[in-house]
Amino acid sequence: MKPLIVLSFLFFLSGCAQTQYNWGSYEKNLYNHYCNPAEKAEYLEGLKEIIEDAESSNAKIPPGIFAEYGYTLLESGKTMDSILFFKKESELWPESKFLMKKMILIAEKSNKSVKTAPVKPELK
Amino acid sequence: MKIIKVCATVICATLLFGCVQHTPKDLTKFRGQDPHSILVVPVVNKSVEVTAADYFLSTISMPLGEKGYYVFPVNLVKRVLEDEGLSDATLVHNASTKRLCDLFGSDSVLYVTIERWDSQYLVLTTTVTVEFSYVIKSGKTDETLWSDKRTMVYQPSNSGGGHPIAMLIVAAVNAAVTKAAPNYMPLAKQANMQVFAYPGPGIPAGPYSDKYKKDLPENP
Repeated sequence: MKPLIVLSFLFFLSGCAQTQYNWGSYEKNLYNHYCNPAEKAEYLEGLKEIIEDAESSNAKIPPGIFAEYGYTLLESGKTMDSILFFKKESELWPESKFLMKKMILIAEKSNKSVKTAPVKPELK
Repeated sequence: MKIIKVCATVICATLLFGCVQHTPKDLTKFRGQDPHSILVVPVVNKSVEVTAADYFLSTISMPLGEKGYYVFPVNLVKRVLEDEGLSDATLVHNASTKRLCDLFGSDSVLYVTIERWDSQYLVLTTTVTVEFSYVIKSGKTDETLWSDKRTMVYQPSNSGGGHPIAMLIVAAVNAAVTKAAPNYMPLAKQANMQVFAYPGPGIPAGPYSDKYKKDLPENP
């Protein structure tokens, strides 16, 4: 009887409590971002923390985190930095290669338009 | 001593019941297609709570990633779809799965619909209910590989130590707290955890899991 109880508890713990990746505050962070979409700095910082935590402990970054970080950088106008993280996602997760290639193209395009944008008003 | 044993067994059984549910499901198509990646598209929201769709999105990547699948970045996907003129989730759900997968390079798509996301206020207590339907479709053939539905109900426990006035106070406090900020997120997380559990109603482990191809029904 006793081993059965212990086994059931162990099974419960192993089945529900273990995680493969360290997601940090990913869920709460994205939730907060959707509560207040204009606030990007905090969301960006949260993603950065997950990446830094994983890198410092040599753990694998959860799927999509590099890409989300890259995209938020892109939205904040940091196009060159965003490309770096799209590349990281692509290298870590071959499944993302196709999409990341597209995202890098989008980032490169917006980088050009950002560079030429201030020139236009001066020409007028 | 005997009572303790019985109690422990009952507790174990209820705990296990939460994780493992024995609803045998035909996963031949799912295993046959062997998707490595899942694209979670924006959620169709049939509740009156407009923010529910976005809030739900924040709970879906973790359970699928932990199952060993590559989950596409949900916020990036949402924004890219908006840029493509597909900000209406119903429109996305009605589009061809194959076309969506071609757009993102995914093997499969998970469609989630929020059927319910509401609180019912009774005199001194509040019941919070969420209900979701889940469908995974193939990016190769457009066919449904897996589907399920979950309903979660939360009612604050009204324990006031048995004293009638104490119980009333606890109930009133519970209702007030829930009314101000209904506790949907733990329910959504719980629903996701249960629905993908395997063996059970869920999907087998993906390629990044140690259990990949080892959790066949004959050797679970």
